[in-house]
Amino acid sequence: MNEILLSNEVIVYLLSETVLYILLFIAFLSTLGLLKRWNFDVFTTEQFALENRSYLVMTIIFFVMLLKVVLLPYFVYTIDNLSNLIPGAMCGAGVIKANEYGNPLLSLKIIILFLSGLWLSMNSIDLKAKSYPYLKLKSWFFVLIFLLFSAEFLLDILYFTHIETTNPVSCCSVIFGQTGGANGLPFGLDISKLLILFYLLFALVILTTVSEMAVMSIIASLLFGVIAYYSVVYFFGTYIYELPTHLCPFCMLQDHYFYVGYLLWGLLLLGLFLTIDAAIMQSFFKQPAKSLKRISLLLLSLFVLLCSAYVAVYYFKNGVFL
Amino acid sequence: MNSNAFLHFLTLLLFKQKGKHIGAVLISVIIIFLLSSVLFISSSLQHTLLGTLESQSDFTVSRVQAGKSINTPLEWVDKVLEINGISKVAPRVYGRYFFAPREESFLVVGVDLFDEQSSKELQSLVKDLDLKSFLSTESMLVGEGVKTFLTEHYYKEYFSFKTPDGKFKKVKMFQTLPSQTNLIANDMIIMPIELAREIFGLGEDEVTDITFNVPNDAEWDNIIAKLHLLFYDVRVVEKREIKKAYENLYNYKGGLFLILYLVTMITFMLILYQRYSMVYSTERKEIGILRAVGWSIKDILKLKFYETAVVVLVSFVLGVVLAYLYVFIWDAPLLSQIFLGGANLPNHVEFVPVLEFGLLGSIFLFYAIPFLAAVLIPAWKIAVTPPKEAML
Amino acid sequence: MISVENVSKIFNEGTPQAFEALKSIDLEVSQGETMILSGVSGSGKSTLLSLIAALDKPSSGKIVVEGELISKLPDLHASAYRAKSIGFIFQHFNLLESLSVEENVIAPLINSGLDIKTIKDKAAKSMKSAAISHKASQQVKELSGGEKQRCAIARALVHEPELIICDEPTANLDKANSLKFIEILQSLHERGKTIIVATHDPLFETLSFVSKVVHMEDGVISSE
Repeated sequence: MNEILLSNEVIVYLLSETVLYILLFIAFLSTLGLLKRWNFDVFTTEQFALENRSYLVMTIIFFVMLLKVVLLPYFVYTIDNLSNLIPGAMCGAGVIKANEYGNPLLSLKIIILFLSGLWLSMNSIDLKAKSYPYLKLKSWFFVLIFLLFSAEFLLDILYFTHIETTNPVSCCSVIFGQTGGANGLPFGLDISKLLILFYLLFALVILTTVSEMAVMSIIASLLFGVIAYYSVVYFFGTYIYELPTHLCPFCMLQDHYFYVGYLLWGLLLLGLFLTIDAAIMQSFFKQPAKSLKRISLLLLSLFVLLCSAYVAVYYFKNGVFL
Repeated sequence: MNSNAFLHFLTLLLFKQKGKHIGAVLISVIIIFLLSSVLFISSSLQHTLLGTLESQSDFTVSRVQAGKSINTPLEWVDKVLEINGISKVAPRVYGRYFFAPREESFLVVGVDLFDEQSSKELQSLVKDLDLKSFLSTESMLVGEGVKTFLTEHYYKEYFSFKTPDGKFKKVKMFQTLPSQTNLIANDMIIMPIELAREIFGLGEDEVTDITFNVPNDAEWDNIIAKLHLLFYDVRVVEKREIKKAYENLYNYKGGLFLILYLVTMITFMLILYQRYSMVYSTERKEIGILRAVGWSIKDILKLKFYETAVVVLVSFVLGVVLAYLYVFIWDAPLLSQIFLGGANLPNHVEFVPVLEFGLLGSIFLFYAIPFLAAVLIPAWKIAVTPPKEAML
Repeated sequence: MISVENVSKIFNEGTPQAFEALKSIDLEVSQGETMILSGVSGSGKSTLLSLIAALDKPSSGKIVVEGELISKLPDLHASAYRAKSIGFIFQHFNLLESLSVEENVIAPLINSGLDIKTIKDKAAKSMKSAAISHKASQQVKELSGGEKQRCAIARALVHEPELIICDEPTANLDKANSLKFIEILQSLHERGKTIIVATHDPLFETLSFVSKVVHMEDGVISSE
């Protein structure tokens, strides 16, 4: 355990998370104060001070979210580096599975980023109005997100202190591969059906977003996200690795694949987030978010293009598919 | 949204108010410089060590008695050769020769120069080695540290080893090993294997240990089990364990420093917080003026954020560049001793430039996040200055 | 254009140092009017001005400017209102001493979305009408009182606001500069701007273009 904790990246990572958590805690305390005493119609000095306080909260959240966006790839990079110290791990996949906290931690991180982004969108709408209509909603929402942040911080510590360097872990080919037989695609899909779903859902996302069917576009985006994950791991990834049996979402983040994983997953996550954000802004807050939608669709299209490109290039180079 | 006006104004303010930020930049540069130097050194060392390790054999076996390594019988080589999946078996003779009056020692390594592989490796290490004349007399190759040490003790061309049977063996110092090898070969002496045998008093049927490769890594655990079955008194050392140990070593030493930096960083943050809160009254008036002419709290926060970002970036670049020069151009005087210190003989190593983005990213995050966090609350306090302040 | 209804302002409320600076003020100013607020220091003139300029918020009451309720605006909107509609000239000039005249004048427009060239053009125009163009690149701290005042005027006019508010503008000027200032005010009046001046300088009492003089005393309006 000690070697893990003393590795440079983990120290930097945990230190950063601690600093950010302290700031969030301050924001949390301020938010509690806001919830208790906010009254926009009153003209007291206290109320004016509370308005100033709300700026502190939004500044902290903005700053923290910005850094969490940077810390997520850094976390993944740290995990990848740790694979040198853990027997059996050749990439991040094995390290994540080193204990039962890894997967929940990673998923929680992504969810928190989504929710923080939503909060910031809500905040900018609130500011544009003249009477802070969403202040209470915003604050309760932040309380929720703070609870998640606390869980994340806890999981961070638990995860890193429970990685054993003596127990070998499975490599990605065992975790994701079909050699074990137990890790096939969900819902009994096979590759061709998966791909059809992939492209169909992509088209559906575009359709529902452009025609402003907000709720439908949220559903389509979420479904697309899930299918995209499986498509990348079980199909497109094999073209990045040029090996039909190499199934892994983490290996593509390494340098011999030119770090394309960061780009790929980044485009997908950001694109999905913006689509869902725009849809929520539209349905709940009645804000047409045209530029958000445009950017999100652009990002998702780039994602699909990138995936398909690897397949196309392979085909042109070799004349056959894998 | 046209941001060039904002950037224009930002640049104006930064230039005209340089004094405000000089202190922070100075401390930052020092901290980043130290931190980067430490990390550059440790990652360069690690890189070099792991590189040399790669070319080593996968396994080393030796004989033990009472838990200590003793001379290994040469006949073990035949038994090892019989195991399937083993390749490139090579017996080795080496040991530490202690220079009696003082406690320094040399690592004497015997090389079988009639073995094609070994002599090829040696020639690639010492590029212009004249093998023929080397073998014509009893000669050795010495590392830089050895050369310096022996010259200090008036041994200019020859050195006389004291052998276990009381006799002296005079060996010529043929050539010095190149300084790039200083990390591992500083206190090393390379000589023909027979000579090494004489110096350490090993019999013809004895060697120090036996190395071999196992190309198929799935077989590794299997082979270890077989070896233990073959010999009851064998010790097997795996290269993968050494690799892990090296990585841990440098993580440990680097990690130790990072923890020291944790303490520095906290102090740093407190100083920053203090400092930026202190500039309060003059800055407050100025911000009040901006607020009075129509700047919103958001605008002020944006200004403060960008101001700080510039300070952070400038300090970071300066600190890293200085560290790079210090470590890779000037070979880190003083600091390198912390890593290499305690070595057997005084060593002087040239560091191989190793630059990883991950490393730079770590340094940046380690510095930027506490910095920005420390400045955030003072910045907010100033940004919410009521514009009325301007009227006072 | 400006409607002040039953406005009060209490400082340090709830503490023993509570001080009621304005007590139930009612006031109307029409578009294009030039109004003088007269009274000794401490009578509440500056406070009233700061409320109208949304530099502060009242403790009770309403202030409506051009149909918009500005007494309760959140910061983002209050700042936008100031940046667009108000040109404020302070008693102590309130310039950024470390910057030049031009740099001070462009400050209000930095966040307006205009590009720097347009902003500089507007600044040039404004500095010309305030007769301070010849000192454009000079640092403010090297200027004389009258020059600083003109720089402040240029800054207050750069965004072409409809409402000009001046707080004791001639208190730190000599007579010659005071008269020059009044000239500038007059030309602004002729351009249709609404002007409010808080002053106890007798020079203002007999001006032809002033349509209303309001006396304040102890936080109330004593006569109009």
